[in-house]
Parts: sequence; structure tokens; C-alpha cells
Amino acid sequence: MTGLREVTRDAFLTASDILLVTRPGSGNDPDIYLALKADGAVIAFNGHVDLGTGIRTALAQIVAEELDIAFERVEMVLGTTSAVPDQGPTIASETIQIAAKPLRLAAASARAYLLALASERSGIAQENLSVEDGLIHADGFAVRYGELIRGEHVRIDIDPSAPAKPVEAYRLVGQSQPRSDIAAKARGDWTYVHDVRVPDMLHGRVIRPPYVGYDHGEGVGNSLIAIDEASVADIDGLVGVIAIGDFVGVVATREEQAALAARRLKVVWREPPARPDLNQFEEALRANPAKTRILRNDGDIERALSSASPRMERTYVWPYQMHGSIGPSCAVADWREDQLVVWSGTQNPHFMRRDLALLMDMSEERIIVERYEAAGCYGRNCADDVTADAALLSRAVGRPVRVQLTREQEHGWEPKGAAQVVDVRGGLDLEGGPIAYDFETRYPSNLSPTLALVLTGKVSGNETVEMGDRTAIPPYAVSNMRIAVHDMPPIARASWFRGVSAMPNTFAHECFFDELAAAAGVDPVEYRLRYLTDPRASDLVRAVTEKAGWRPRTRFGSEGGEGDLLYGRGFAYAVYVHGKFPGVPAAWSAWVADVAVNRRTGEVAVTKVTVGQDSGLMINPEGVRHQIHGNVIQSVSRVLKEKVRFTQTAVESVEWGGYPILTFEEVPDIDVLMIPRPDEPPLGVGESASVPSAAAIVNAIYDATGVRFRELPLTPDRVLAGLNGQEQQAKRERRKESGKRLFRFGLGIVGLAGIALGGLAAFSPWRPSIAAIQRLDPAIFSAASIERGRLVAAVGGCNTCHADEKSSALGGGRAFETPFGTVYAANISPDASHGIGSWSYAAFERAMREGISRDGSHLYPVHPYTAFRHASDSDLQDLYAYLMASPAAASAAPETRLKAPFNIRPLMAGWNGLYLDAAKVPFDPVKGEAWNRGAYLVESLGHCSACHSDRNALGAERRGADHLAGGFADGYEAPALNGTQAGPVAWTQSALFDYLRHGHAVDHGSAVGPMAEVVRSLSALPDADIAAMATYLAGLSSPVAPEEAAAQRDTAILASEAAREKARLAHPEGARIFEGACASCHAGETPLVNLALNSNLHSTKPTNVLNAILSGADAPASLVVRHRADAEVMSMPAFADSLSDRQVGELAAYLRARFAPQKEVWGDLEDAARSVRSTKSASH
Amino acid sequence: MARGPVTLTINGEKQTFAVAPETPLLFILRNDCALNGPKFGCGLGECGACSVLVDDRCVRACTIKISALDGRTVTTLEGLASDSEPHPVQRAFTEMQAAQCGYCLNGMIIATVALLRKNPAPGEAEIRAALRGHLCRCGTHMEILAAVRRARDLLVAERQLPRQEQERSAIP
Repeated sequence: MTGLREVTRDAFLTASDILLVTRPGSGNDPDIYLALKADGAVIAFNGHVDLGTGIRTALAQIVAEELDIAFERVEMVLGTTSAVPDQGPTIASETIQIAAKPLRLAAASARAYLLALASERSGIAQENLSVEDGLIHADGFAVRYGELIRGEHVRIDIDPSAPAKPVEAYRLVGQSQPRSDIAAKARGDWTYVHDVRVPDMLHGRVIRPPYVGYDHGEGVGNSLIAIDEASVADIDGLVGVIAIGDFVGVVATREEQAALAARRLKVVWREPPARPDLNQFEEALRANPAKTRILRNDGDIERALSSASPRMERTYVWPYQMHGSIGPSCAVADWREDQLVVWSGTQNPHFMRRDLALLMDMSEERIIVERYEAAGCYGRNCADDVTADAALLSRAVGRPVRVQLTREQEHGWEPKGAAQVVDVRGGLDLEGGPIAYDFETRYPSNLSPTLALVLTGKVSGNETVEMGDRTAIPPYAVSNMRIAVHDMPPIARASWFRGVSAMPNTFAHECFFDELAAAAGVDPVEYRLRYLTDPRASDLVRAVTEKAGWRPRTRFGSEGGEGDLLYGRGFAYAVYVHGKFPGVPAAWSAWVADVAVNRRTGEVAVTKVTVGQDSGLMINPEGVRHQIHGNVIQSVSRVLKEKVRFTQTAVESVEWGGYPILTFEEVPDIDVLMIPRPDEPPLGVGESASVPSAAAIVNAIYDATGVRFRELPLTPDRVLAGLNGQEQQAKRERRKESGKRLFRFGLGIVGLAGIALGGLAAFSPWRPSIAAIQRLDPAIFSAASIERGRLVAAVGGCNTCHADEKSSALGGGRAFETPFGTVYAANISPDASHGIGSWSYAAFERAMREGISRDGSHLYPVHPYTAFRHASDSDLQDLYAYLMASPAAASAAPETRLKAPFNIRPLMAGWNGLYLDAAKVPFDPVKGEAWNRGAYLVESLGHCSACHSDRNALGAERRGADHLAGGFADGYEAPALNGTQAGPVAWTQSALFDYLRHGHAVDHGSAVGPMAEVVRSLSALPDADIAAMATYLAGLSSPVAPEEAAAQRDTAILASEAAREKARLAHPEGARIFEGACASCHAGETPLVNLALNSNLHSTKPTNVLNAILSGADAPASLVVRHRADAEVMSMPAFADSLSDRQVGELAAYLRARFAPQKEVWGDLEDAARSVRSTKSASH
Repeated sequence: MARGPVTLTINGEKQTFAVAPETPLLFILRNDCALNGPKFGCGLGECGACSVLVDDRCVRACTIKISALDGRTVTTLEGLASDSEPHPVQRAFTEMQAAQCGYCLNGMIIATVALLRKNPAPGEAEIRAALRGHLCRCGTHMEILAAVRRARDLLVAERQLPRQEQERSAIP
């Protein structure tokens, strides 16, 4: 359990045995920066927080250094509003550069005060006293810091003139210090905000509106039409459903209950309005209303441009990107009438507290933000949003509530790193120097108000802020220079993300200067050095290029290549300027990037990055190195792979398949050069090394190929198109939506008339009812008969169909979608009024063999009486005994109401006349006992053909050659069992046995959907019966030797390996989704069946593949485990809420091309996915 | 799906849960057992933050339903230590400072333990392949790779140590 962790400011202000170093605060109380206790422990306070960068450690080093105590004595309190000063949000890499300054002074002030005190007590002059780990001493005299203040409450102000230690005297700062948190994190002992639990806590989930990722404009805050609370009323543990404006949440006792309620809650929203196209967003950005700020206007830009030779006009395009925190945001809130406490991973506790005060109509003083670490955020993610969500839900239910966002919500709603479009005009003078530089940048982003404020209509997210100017001015001397920033409101929700606007701005500067150098015929590094005005920058550029072994070059191609690979090196430099313009420079950074470009596939590998950084004094050098590594890897990922995709109305990329990031196999070697500058002030190192990334890589690709790319990310398809000089690949035409593929019925009124008028005399539409009986005493049935009946029921799958999630066993209620309407399975438990307790055996037998209910009405052939009619008398008697001895389910199944004219049950009489006797159970004494037993089980009790045969327009199974030749069930394709199946490996008898017994066959895959339920039901049967079924089914096709099957397997796998590249070229987006969403289980050393063997991927229809993607497949885990103790526990999640129809279509197209390359391409996959999805949602 | 209590061994302790059968293992571990090592990252088996060992294999607790685990043995990050001594892989990750925010650390350590149990001497490519389905957004990959190599070496040394001792004691 976690309660309030931090001791409050008030407690420190009233404590004794303490020295406090303070500064006047905004309220009545002073802000505390440092507390020293009598036992020598030091607590230091900072308004900034640790976002995973190791700031906690670096700040403690600074304090320990100035105070002359051991590092271990310092405890840092970061962010918590009840304890720390408000020092603004933890942004712009400014913690060390800015927020640490008062802390350092506070430590120096404390030391000076304590020394003065010791001097006074000892009579020894201060300059003769020395300090070691808090022990002040001189010959014969020694006193600990703590002793000097024992019994007192001392409060001193920060002394701005307190003597800070000279750098030469540093013993901790500048030395690498292992981080204080990592050991605990590696043991699982660290408490992240996700791990906070408070007494009486409930679990909440939020349900977001359909305009995913937009925080202003039409419909925002006012799109909720209705909530159907009944849709979740039956969920155990549900505490409440809350709606305020467009804010919707659920609260439950347990987390899985809240998650289920959030998934299942039916909410009706207004159709979201179409938004500007943010996939091809250049136009949208240019059309976005802007206010232009001219940051610099030197010389005469137009005149200079008119004399430029060559004159170049370039546009650089940076995509929308995501922070992509690995942990979706989470928070806990405890609202009381007089106080709100939130446990939050916020980046800006005080800033968020203001938003919470506005949201909750409370004064800020009554809100405590306890700041806990969360997953790394690199800017503004959903940490504040989820905190506000928790506050609203806690207030609604009057108890503490923990809210965990889903991956889809974090991806969809996090304020994005904004897209940018940068136009540059410029050119060379007669000497090849840059004569003009005219730069315009567009940055549609702001501070992103906390989402709950937007959803509840309290504020709009359309404010314009001035943040597009970071590093907008290039570092080179150009006499005619105009720099313009078009400040504009966001289009999609966007806010600061590592490097903010400096990354795209530098992308433009450094690519353009590279191009100028090439045009001037000068080595790009040499060219930069000529015009760099900052000597520290020049030093860094020289040092990094020397370390990388840079060879001057004046044209591309000098690195050569081998085979399809072309090698190249690129350079870029930047200083990250942050804060309000003109801003504050952080560390200087320069990159040499090495790339290999595959000219056939367009793949780009960044093989090595040599990165140099001048950080001034480095507090914790190893920490700086790690931060540089992190920036390099993250920015390589952004440059090569990352772009948020949108639908017309919402963010489309809501998981890691749609938004892939760099993986271990793609990580470059990194060679770090850290320039030692201990005498210079420390600079922010949090973001600098990201800034030159894009230009260095793009320049390297130019060096390799001679092609300049000006738009990111550098995905293989984009690069290949660029290499081929192609325009954007034209979008493939998609044909219109095809009809639903459920059962292949399609019934005209003429057919119906045929049934009605056929009037087959033998099948009278009117049948007598059979008298009701008193429910039989189960004791009259023998235990042996009941047990045999249980097995009959298992073969027949009675309880698979005659039960649904809500009903008890045999209680009915499961819905069957047919083109005629929905048929609900009846209650067949022995309940006298709702079930079949009043049915005599004669009535039961008639229902089973003829499809006539006890009251004489006709049953629909969803009940497979056409198969059951061939059951043996003894089996039916045993089944009757079993059903009658089962517990009664006293609930009525929903009544089937079919569309007219199918609701006329007597019509079924005509149907029966046509089809009832069509089925036969084959019998052939020559084939032996097992085969005949198998035939009986398959064709009668097991009614396999009910799903595995197609049906005609009247809903009857097709016979003859179509018998067991494949059909549909519950929206799934039931593949052929008669030897015409699609998979590459023929089914051997033992494979069939494995599949029916374990739900899994090694060369085929696993049972999912309705077949998984069948296997589950069959698990009651003895092996002999399963073997009998396998024998009969194997006999339906020509026999296959195991070696032959093995050869087929090897051939299929080889074919799929060979198709890898072609499939990726044909379906690049599908390939990316596969890598991000599927490969963690379906690639490499996986215990799963190779997808190349998967029957569904080889079928003529994509239905089962689409079903598996949308609905998942958990059968193997739950089935296999029962039979093999060491079986792999795996389960495929449903991606219905995570991938759009378009994405599913792209993925399925790739899967087909990759794993069934010799098969015909599936068409219309997006439409097919939509159709499968709608079938799925209709049946739930 | 059949309802009924599920019994499994978690970090050496046999425990029974009577919850909805589709409850993800991850929620049981975190909320019922207060084991904070495994983290919720995506719920889709994509990122690896929730990884745990089932027997000796690294699996994703966010997608595994509790009903699939009857009779199985689950080990979380917390269960790796023996006698409160951190597991060599945990030690290696700490030594190499292989975390920035540390949210993915659980999955990286669990995947490394599983890898080294299967393959005590993996090469660079095998290490990277074993971690490919584990995402880190901070960019700690260099330190993590160094930690896996370090863990491999620690474990090799540990295995050799008792052998050497045996050999030594065998000398008369």
C-alpha cells in the first residue's frame, strides 16, 4: 500500500532539529530548497522531475558536492507539490542548466552558515576549518553538521552570493555516479505511479470519443448522444458509469472488470466531422491560419536571391510523431470534500495542479500532487490527462480511483509531436558562398490543455503559442537572412516532444547547407566550418569529424558499395536553443552518420553514428553518455520509421504495429565523443543529440545514392520511390464493398413460394403436440446411462450451442446470425417451464430426429436434426438421461424472431420435405470398426457437416461433392474436410487426431473460433473415439505418408522465405504492421506453427485470417495446456480495437503475399475486414 | 469457458484464484499479488513490458488468460532473486546501468533470463534476436546489450566456479 509518501512543506516548517534553506514563495510560506537534519541526512527539493534521464542522481551529486557530504546522504524530493517549489514544467532540458541553480546555491548557503556557526563555537577562523562528509574539523576540533543544529529549528534564506566551490575542488560533480534507482528497478522494488495502491482503491477506465487525437473544432466536447448503462449492468464489481460532457468513464472493484465494462459499454456518439488530410498534411499546414513572426531580417533577401546562382528553393516535411511512452499513462486520485490528492507521473506538477483546480472547481491549495515516476515521456504525454480522469472518477464515486489508459488511448490521444513544413530559399554567390537564406517554418502545436478540460467543455485546445522558433536561426553567417515562424494553433492535438521544433528546423538548415556545399563543390564539413560563427561549435565539428575519420568529399558515391548496398556518410551539426525566443542554447551536438542503402528494396540501415557533444561541465558523465545514446537511438527511430497516420476523422496509429519504433536488430553502433569543458557552466543534455539526426542521415543517403530526400520518415517504400524517381505511389483502387459472407444463403421470395406451395403431403405443416409430463426424477436414470449421455452431449456439442456467456449450462440464449435473422438456442436444461423438463422421451426424440418441438411447432435447421436423426436409439436415450439429470436453468432464452417471411415456422415443413432425409451415415463393414465408428460420430452426433458443408439458398447443406467441402460458421470459414482443403500440407490421420484432441496440429495450426469450442467439447471423449473420427476424416482424402507431408511442409516454408522481400515491396505498410504487431510471436524462434503452413492463409477466402486478427485466438493456450504440461502458453489478442479496417487489410495482404505466395491475391481486403468486423459486432 | 478456481505457482508459492477465466495473468500478478515487476505496456503482446517466465519461457502476461495457467509455474522479476541475492542478470543490468526510465526493464531482464537458460552462450545476433520483440523508447539499447553480455559472462563464471571448487577439492 502506498499513501502520501512525501513529508509536506508544513511538516518541515514546524520540525525541530532541522536547518532549512528557503526562498520566499508565491504563498505565505517560503519555498524549501534544502533541509538538513540533526542525524546528518539531507533532503533536497526540486520542482523538476526525473523523466528517466537520471536527474535525481545528478541533482543529488550537486547538493552533496556543495555541502561536502557523501552522495548517499542526499535524498531528492522531486515534483510533489506539497513539498517542492514551483519551478515550472520539466521541459527544454533545463533542469541542470536552470532549475538546479537555486539548489546549488541553497547547498552552498547551508555550508557557509554551518561553517560560520562552527567557527563561532570553536573560535577557529573559517578558513582554517575543513569539511569531510559533513564533519567540520581543525586540529583538535570536530563537529558534525547535524550537531550544530540539534534542538533547533533554523531557517536561512538562499544567499545569492554564497561562495560556490571552485571546479578544481570538485570530487563528486564531474565523476560518474551510478544512478540511485536502477538496482531497485531491476528487482521490481521501485514504485512507479502505476504501482501506487491506496486503501479502498477502485479501478477506472475511460471511454474516449471517436474524434481520437483532436482537442478542438466541431464536435469536440459535445458529441455524446447517449449511454446505454444496461450494456454493462451485468458486469460483476461495476461501481459506476460516469459521463460529463464528452468525458466518459467506468469504475469497478477489479481492474479486469473496469476494462471489460469500458470495452462493452455502448455509447452513442455524433459522427465525427471529417478533418483535413493529415497523412498528406502539407496542404493542411499551409492552410492553417497563422500569425507570422519575423525573427531576423538581415540584408536584402529578395535582391540577394535574384542574384543567387544557383538559386535553390526547397521544402522540408516533418511528419506527426509520437512520444510513445512504453507505459500508457496511469494515475490515482482520492477526492474528498475538502481535499484532492493525486498520485501522478506528471512532467509539470504545479502547472497540472492549476488545470486540476479549474477542472474540479477547487482552489490550488486544496490539491496535492504526489509525483511518482512513470514511463519515460520525452515531452507532453497523457500523464496529466489521466490524472484529471482519475480526479473526476474519484469525485463521482467518492473513493480513491486508479485509472490506467489503454495503449490505444495513449497512442491516440497523446499530444503529438507536430508535423512541420519548412520552406527554404537560398543560393550561392559567385565565390560559392551562401548569399541568401530565407527560411519559413510552420509548427501547429501548443501546450495541449489537459484533456478532461476539453472533453468537459471547460476550455478549447485551439490556443496558439510561440514554440516554432527553436533553433530557427541557422548557425552560419549569411549576410542576407530572413527567418520567419508562422505561429499557428494545432490541427491534431500536439504539444512539445523532444527537440520540439528545433529538430525539423535543423533538418532544413543542415540539409540545405549540405546542398549548398555540394553546389559549391566543397566538402560539406569544410563548407560549414567556413561559415560557422561560434568557435565552440567549430571545435566540436573538427573533433567529431576527426574521430569519425571523415574524408573530405565533393560528390556523392565516394564510400562505394557492394552488391545491392550503397554506402554513405553524412554530417550535421546543431545547437538546441530552447525556451522563449531568442532562447537559451543547450549542449552543442554534431553527428557523422554512416548508412547502407539497399537500392533494390529501399531499406536504409544506419550502421554507425559518431556523435560529439559539448555539454559544458558534465555533472554525471556516464549519465550524459546514456542520454546521448538514448537520443541517438530514439531519433534514428523517428527519422527512419515514425509517422502517425490518420483516418479522415481520427488518429489511426494506435499501437506499435501501426507506429513501429526501432528494434534491437536495427540499433546502430554509437561512438560518443564528449568534449571535456569542466570550466564552463553545465548545459542541458536531455535533447541536444537528437537534433542533428535527420539531416545527418538524409545527407548520408545522398552521399550513398545521389538522391536528396526532404520528407520523413525514410521508410523503404519512400526511399525506393525516391531512388526510382517515382512520385508518391498511387493509391491502389479499391472496389466497392462486397456482400456479407456469412452463410452463403440468398433467398428470393420465389424460393419461399416453392417451399410453401410444394405442399409435400408427407410433411404436413401442422404436427400434433406431445403432452407435457411432470419433470422426471433424475434418480430413475442409471449413473452409467447419464455418463454415456454426457459423452454423447460432448460429441454433439450441446452445451456449446445451448449456452452463452451469461446463461448457466444448457440454459440456451446463444445467438446464431443467419440471413433470415437471429436464431437463439433454446434452454434445454430440465427446467419445467423454460427448458425441456416437461418433455417426454418421445417429444425429445421427435425434436432430435425430425426437428419438431414438443408443442408441434417446427424448429429451424440451425438445430442440426438432419444429422441427429441418424443417432442410435441408445445414444439418444442416454443423452435424454443426461439432460434430465443436469441442473435446471430457470431462465428463459431470448425468443427467436426472424424476419418475415422466415418467421413462419410451418414453412419449415416444406423444408424438411426437401432436405430432411438427404443426409446419410455411411456404413461399410470392410473398413473396420474404427472407420464406421468415426463415420457415425462425424456424420451423426458430431454433425460436422452443419458447418463444414456449404448451404444452399434455402439454408440446407449441399450434399454430394459439396458434402464436407467447406462452409461457414459464426462468421468463420469452416474449411473443407474432404481432401480439397487449402493448406500446403495434407492432413495425415495423426494430424487430424492431434487437432481434434489438442486443438492443435504442428503442421497446420490451432483451432480458433467455433472450432475451438468444438475441441473443448470433444475433450470429454476417450482417445478411441477421437482416433475413430480421425480415421474416418483421413479416409475422405487420398492417403498421405508422413514423409510426403514433411516434404510439403518444407516446400511451403522455403517458398515463404523466398517471398519475404517481394511481399515487403508489394505491401510495405502491411510488412511494418506485421513487424510491430505480430513478429514478437510469429517470427524468429517461435513455438507457434510457421504461418506458411497455416491453412487459413492459403484459403481462397480471407475470412478466418481477418477473424483471427480482429478477434484473436486463445484456444491453443487453453486447450493444449490440458494435455502437455510443458506446452507453450500463448494467446493471440484481438486487434479489433487497435487496427483499422484499412490496416487489417494491408496486414492481411502482406500475410498472404508472404506466407502463401503461390496463391491468388486476396482482393478488397479493407472491405472484407469491415464486413467481418460488422458481423462480429452484430453478434455481440 | 469453464469457470472455476485456477491454481498456479507464483514465485514458488502455490496460489488459487477464483476470478473470471479470461482475466489476464498480468492483472492477477499486479493487483492480487502486488507484484509490480511486470508492467502493463500494450495489452497486445507487442512491447514485452509485462513479460514473466512460465516455467522457463518468457511469455507476455498481458495476453495470457488466467484459465490457461492451471498447474503452471510463473516467475516474475521479484521471484528471480534467491535468498534476497539478486539474480546475476539483475546484477548485470544494475552494473551496466541498463535503464533510463526503467519501465521496460522487467521485460528485458526476463527475456535475458529465458535466453540464457536456453542458450548459455549467445552471440550478438542471438541476443538482439531474443530482444527484438521488446521495445525500449528511451533508447537504452546499448546499455541493455552490454548488460546481457555481462550477464552471460557472470553466469558462465558462476557455473565454472563450483566446478573449479569441485576440482580443487578433488585434488588430494
